[in-house]
Amino acid sequence: MSSAQSTQTDSAPSGRILWRRMRPTTSLSWRAFRRSWQAYALLSPIFALLIVFVYYPPILGLIRAFFRWRPGVPATFVGLDNFVTYFTYAETPHELVNIVKLLVFGLFAGIVMPFIMAELIFFVRSPALKELYRLLVIIPMLVPGIVTVLLWQKLYDPYLGPINDMLRAMGLEQFALNWLGEHRIAIYAIMFVGFPWVWGVGTLIYLGGLGQISESVYEAAALDGCTGVGRVMRIDIPLVLGQVRLLAILAIINAITAFQNILVLTDGGPGFSTMVPGLTMFHSAFRAQKFGYSSAIGLLLFIIAMSGTLIINRGIRPANEELRQ
Amino acid sequence: MTTDLKRSPNRRPLQMSQLGLHLLIAFLLLLSLIPTVIMINLSFKNGLQYRWERWSLSLPLRGSNYLSAWDVIDAYMINTVLVAMVGLAGVLILSLIGGYVFARMRFPLREPLYYAIIALLMVPWVLSFIPAYMLYNNLGLLNTRWALIIPNVAGGPIFGIFLMRAFITGIPEELYESARCDGAGAWSLIWRITFPLSLPGLATLSVLNFVAEWNSFLWPLVTISDMSKQVISVGLFRLSRTTNDSVDFGSGGPLFAGYVLASIPLVILFIVLGKFYVEGLVESGIKM
Repeated sequence: MSSAQSTQTDSAPSGRILWRRMRPTTSLSWRAFRRSWQAYALLSPIFALLIVFVYYPPILGLIRAFFRWRPGVPATFVGLDNFVTYFTYAETPHELVNIVKLLVFGLFAGIVMPFIMAELIFFVRSPALKELYRLLVIIPMLVPGIVTVLLWQKLYDPYLGPINDMLRAMGLEQFALNWLGEHRIAIYAIMFVGFPWVWGVGTLIYLGGLGQISESVYEAAALDGCTGVGRVMRIDIPLVLGQVRLLAILAIINAITAFQNILVLTDGGPGFSTMVPGLTMFHSAFRAQKFGYSSAIGLLLFIIAMSGTLIINRGIRPANEELRQ
Repeated sequence: MTTDLKRSPNRRPLQMSQLGLHLLIAFLLLLSLIPTVIMINLSFKNGLQYRWERWSLSLPLRGSNYLSAWDVIDAYMINTVLVAMVGLAGVLILSLIGGYVFARMRFPLREPLYYAIIALLMVPWVLSFIPAYMLYNNLGLLNTRWALIIPNVAGGPIFGIFLMRAFITGIPEELYESARCDGAGAWSLIWRITFPLSLPGLATLSVLNFVAEWNSFLWPLVTISDMSKQVISVGLFRLSRTTNDSVDFGSGGPLFAGYVLASIPLVILFIVLGKFYVEGLVESGIKM
């Protein structure tokens, strides 16, 4: 292996200087590529896998969104039919309303709750306890996601569920509902899963941002009498906007594309009350074998999620980097 | 109070507010842990206890629930560990190599190639889910373990290269210089120098990747129809739906014991590597 050293472009300092000198004229020449064969050889298995299994499927999806596509049958081009079908489908407005509800809630649960938790931990003075809390917030993540959802399904059980047990014990019999089985409530019951939504990853990301704020900023603020909640509003929030932006994007993509919890808890029911486009995509592919239609819905969701990402990227502008360490 | 004021260099909130802070944090943590506590409590009950004393602790604890749970979910657990470990090995190797190449080697088109990989982080899975299923179908990979391993090995290095490039850039150049003077080639620069020095980065990547694999649900749900090859998430999902099982698995304690068992690999992982995970998230100051 080491015999290849002489051809490696970054091997010796002199080689690198030579390469730099030649760069303006020959950086993209055949010779330059040949000198770097080792880098390309090392990257080739990565790109081979990426091209077949990562680049190809979404491109195929973009194309097949305009086709009628079933396993074992040649695909036929149908133009915009799949999109027209989806937008004229009677349940579609309902699905979009559900997505908006999930989005509003997702932004609150994904951005605000972790921020509150991070600030609380950040205000703790004892370093040992701070470290302990940092570890404790990730405990809910030790339970697999599917188990959390299945557990909540048991908590919501109208007859054997602890939530209704508790309501009955408090004499609130009339509020002991079939949480996942009622049209009006089911979507909110799905949102409530994971209460109080103190999400470990979000909290730790915020703590990272808060930890990078320079101590001199806080000292100056304290001299001006800016402490406690005032400091949070005027200093901490503007300085963690980079983290807010990241979590906002994650929350938007999640709210628009995720349907795993709904699939497990209600499968879109009762009736169509908790249907979302992602679940329709899933059903039309794996129950109705309409893969072209399904790809079209996937493409729509991609466009919505991408637009949301771009809006957030433009809309949230992080404060001056100089105030960080 | 006054002594506390003296002790704190800058006048942060006083002792009383610190106490309130601890209570509030403890309250929020407790609320998030309630489902977990209920799960553990229920995992020790028999069918009657589950029916009539759900809230209290039933003594003696029925540890045998865990044995009957293991009998049902052992294949799922082993499958998931197997698939996740093989996939993880591939992800770590490719991410280390990719991270090294993009951090330490100079070659034409380096940055365009790097961004061609990083841009894939922006493609939501929803766009590729359906066509990827058809691709695996056409390749005859459905209902094989390859359908679970390949997506991870192919897709895992996207974030892995991003993480490892940042990590490897931080290794002092002098180490590489002296190794090159001793005649080390690219391969030994990767394995003798980069690998041992980037273990914390690889640990962070391992936790992220393993947790994601352990939690994967929708993809195995549609690609694996043979339950003997199925993973734990789908296995538990199916079991929660079958109530007429011979060991009344779906109704009583054993199901919850199964839930607890399914969490144990993640607990072990976090005990061993959790520190890297927390530090990786907190100290990197990740943002957009």
